[in-house]
Amino acid sequence: MRISVDGKRLEVDGEKTILEICKGLGIKIPTLCYHKSLFPEARCRLCLVDLDGKLVTACSTKAGEGSEIITDSKRVLKARRRNMELMNPGANISELSDDFEAREIYEQVGLDNERFKPIKNYLPELGAALVRDNNKCINCGRCVQVCEKIQAISAVDFASRAHNEHVTPYNEKHLSEIACIKCGQCLINCPVGAISERSHLKEVIKALENPKKHVVAQTAPSIRAALGELFDMEAGTLVTGKMVTALRKCGFDKVFDVDLGADITIMEESAELLKRIKKGGPFPMITTCCPSWILMMEHFYPELIPNMSTCKSPHEMLGMLIKTYYAEKAKVNPKDIVVVSIMPCVAKKFESTRPELNTEVDYVLTTRELGRLIKQKKIDFVNLEEQDFDPTLGIASGAGDIFGNAGGVMEAALRTGYEVATGKRLKSVEFGSLRNFEGIKTGSIKLGDKTIRYACANGGANIRKLLKDKDKYHFMEMMVCPGGCVGGGGQPIYFDEDVLKLRSKALYEQDSKKELRRSHENPIVKEIYKKYLGKPLSRKAERLLHTRYRKRDGF
Amino acid sequence: MQILRETKLEGLKLARKIGRERVLEVLSEKRLIGRGGAGFSVAKKWEIALGVKAKERYVICNADEGEPGTFKDKFILKNNSETMIEGLLIAAYVLGAKRCFIYLRGEYDYLRGELEEKVREVLKESKMKVSIEIVRGAGAYICGEETAILQSMMGNRGNAMYKPPRPTVSGLWGKPTVLNNVETLTCVPQALVYEDWNPDYRLFSISGDVSHPGVYEWELGIKMSTILEVVKPKEKLKAMSFGCFGGIMPVKKNLSISQDTLCKNDCQHGAFSIIFIGERHNVVDICLSIAKFYTYESCGKCTPCREGTIRLVNLLKKIKNRDADEGDVKLLKEFAEHIQETSLCGLGQSCGNHILTSLKHFRKDYREYIK
Repeated sequence: MRISVDGKRLEVDGEKTILEICKGLGIKIPTLCYHKSLFPEARCRLCLVDLDGKLVTACSTKAGEGSEIITDSKRVLKARRRNMELMNPGANISELSDDFEAREIYEQVGLDNERFKPIKNYLPELGAALVRDNNKCINCGRCVQVCEKIQAISAVDFASRAHNEHVTPYNEKHLSEIACIKCGQCLINCPVGAISERSHLKEVIKALENPKKHVVAQTAPSIRAALGELFDMEAGTLVTGKMVTALRKCGFDKVFDVDLGADITIMEESAELLKRIKKGGPFPMITTCCPSWILMMEHFYPELIPNMSTCKSPHEMLGMLIKTYYAEKAKVNPKDIVVVSIMPCVAKKFESTRPELNTEVDYVLTTRELGRLIKQKKIDFVNLEEQDFDPTLGIASGAGDIFGNAGGVMEAALRTGYEVATGKRLKSVEFGSLRNFEGIKTGSIKLGDKTIRYACANGGANIRKLLKDKDKYHFMEMMVCPGGCVGGGGQPIYFDEDVLKLRSKALYEQDSKKELRRSHENPIVKEIYKKYLGKPLSRKAERLLHTRYRKRDGF
Repeated sequence: MQILRETKLEGLKLARKIGRERVLEVLSEKRLIGRGGAGFSVAKKWEIALGVKAKERYVICNADEGEPGTFKDKFILKNNSETMIEGLLIAAYVLGAKRCFIYLRGEYDYLRGELEEKVREVLKESKMKVSIEIVRGAGAYICGEETAILQSMMGNRGNAMYKPPRPTVSGLWGKPTVLNNVETLTCVPQALVYEDWNPDYRLFSISGDVSHPGVYEWELGIKMSTILEVVKPKEKLKAMSFGCFGGIMPVKKNLSISQDTLCKNDCQHGAFSIIFIGERHNVVDICLSIAKFYTYESCGKCTPCREGTIRLVNLLKKIKNRDADEGDVKLLKEFAEHIQETSLCGLGQSCGNHILTSLKHFRKDYREYIK
């Protein structure tokens, strides 16, 4: 198809939208409501272009044969600016956080903020995990679409008409009162920051400044592959050593590795699986590392409660061990210890309020919050030296490292489960079928005379799909965020899915570089079990490292 | 009145006898065009839907007449609904549809019992294996727009959707769907049966400062002086508004009502509803109440319409309160134009018409209010 763009004649694919064509040509068209993986609703109307004399939205319109497109005429630019003005009366660009897409777009379009006054007057909504401020919302509808189409939860939708239209949970209730799984994908997709995490930063800083407190940080597997992005490092750069140094500089007394918690989780979980195989069920056994998945199960699939593994999530396990095992060992009063988990996840903030867990984690920071803390302390992150974790609880196997990837928990569990059950050694510890970037991954492995079929799903919609034939499998891993924890709701905001692939690759690389790749060979794990817990699923381990679930309302 | 002529299922019988191709030919020979305002040929619309390969097709009667000052469909539903239902059945026959719907305006719910009765009667008599379901609208003006009707019927928010695909290609549940309004469907059997059927007759809804408001049937091109003789103004008339979206213009005695003559005055006839406005009113007040209507009825999807309509109201209020200066009037015009230019659906694209036309024709009224 022949068209002309800004006076240049060219041959293009007729199936592409004007936006895609322009992107290919390197023409920058501002968009707010557009998202690559979502349906273009053309709500924000910033991507206006002139198509044969008519203003149309580039994201939703396909050009016809011989049509003329103008992207930068005075009329187009003015119309975009007016829509920006209507969307954001009284907005101050300098107040906007860099994290969000909108900043760049506001600067590109230009914002004339003198003519109208803001009219929105909503009460911000404070939850255990998420904070929603409708006053900042520009009604782009991305959160609504992500929640419905990608996560299959439909926790939020639009209500009311005209200028009163706003995003709200079911029946104008609070997010904490409805079936919201707190995955934070709405947050990741919000271009203006109307949804944000419930910050624990203030409390953490207060604890750090208190000399009586022994403040311990524990960092999740996936944040080391993403934290660098907040300091303009390339996506997928591993910053493990710099992160540890930065945490020490921020004033944390000890820095521990949740990857070790992951190793312990694997010990417990694989023991549980082998026990179930012996007992004959109930199958499938389902992993419980993802707090959003637990919420999803409790809200929508309560009949699966007996199928769930009873293991706490890795950081909860390690948090418990810090206040028991470590406190004993280091001779610190557990009451003086403050455990701060640094997580790629906003649901972990909710998780630490669950009464069933008897949690010993005091605060949860997201990757973004840690970035903010480091910036606040004026630490030159990029040029930091690299340090190691504190060795008491700081050595982890490669199996723990890959927990941040969708399919990683499964892979780690299979490594240990196979070798413990059969006594044989795996020739290759890498399970190729679990390492692609699909939403649903399946496979099977022979444990003696029994074939164990396993499946992994990431993304709420994929989980629902996989659960339809759950009876085929013995072991399942569920991760609510697309790509697993590397794409978590607490991670640096990304605009391109390729970023997730790079983060994921970095974690696999970390694993492949290690000598130690099996959880059960981790010397610290061995020591903890020898000196403290006994063996997996011992009475003490059950008390400290396992939990239970409850049914919640489906609405 | 032509619209009240009954066909007593003769139209359906004839249609079955001559076959679907011939029906389409006759309808296009008789120049039957849609009465919703866009003026699209009925035969052509049906042909497009027929041309799409699909297992199922649907026919929807759009009885969501929400335009202020329009009440002609109610008139038909009350007085000649059998013929409308027959039109629906003819459409179903031509398109091979098994399910038809009547999307009834929420405020007309009191007509529903009677309508259901009529539907049962006509269906029994016609012996067609077609179901006709009456769907009650929930009161949104935007749900008179065809894509919004579909969204509403599928249980979603009544938001206008991007076209293409048009409903005739992919409508209700993704199937080709024909939407016609009450007046159009009533004309279908009449056009088939009666030799002397006149395609230029239109129903006018007359209201405002006149002694005899109501529904009238006149031929296109009728002189304003004739209309005024019949409806008898209560006082000297200053302006007339064509529904809400058609625009406001002065009452001119020698004006003949047709597409071209109204276009010259930047107005649109729409569904031929005329609200007459007397001398004692200031047009700005009228504009304010129309603008308020739009801030209430915009679905909220597109930024310009969602955020813009309330700004127009605020500006008009400011003008009415004698707080405004020429700059505000300029801003009013700028954004009325902007909303029309950049919105998605018909509502957004016409919600500034009353302001733009009143600014053109009644600048004096604005000046009265400006400092």
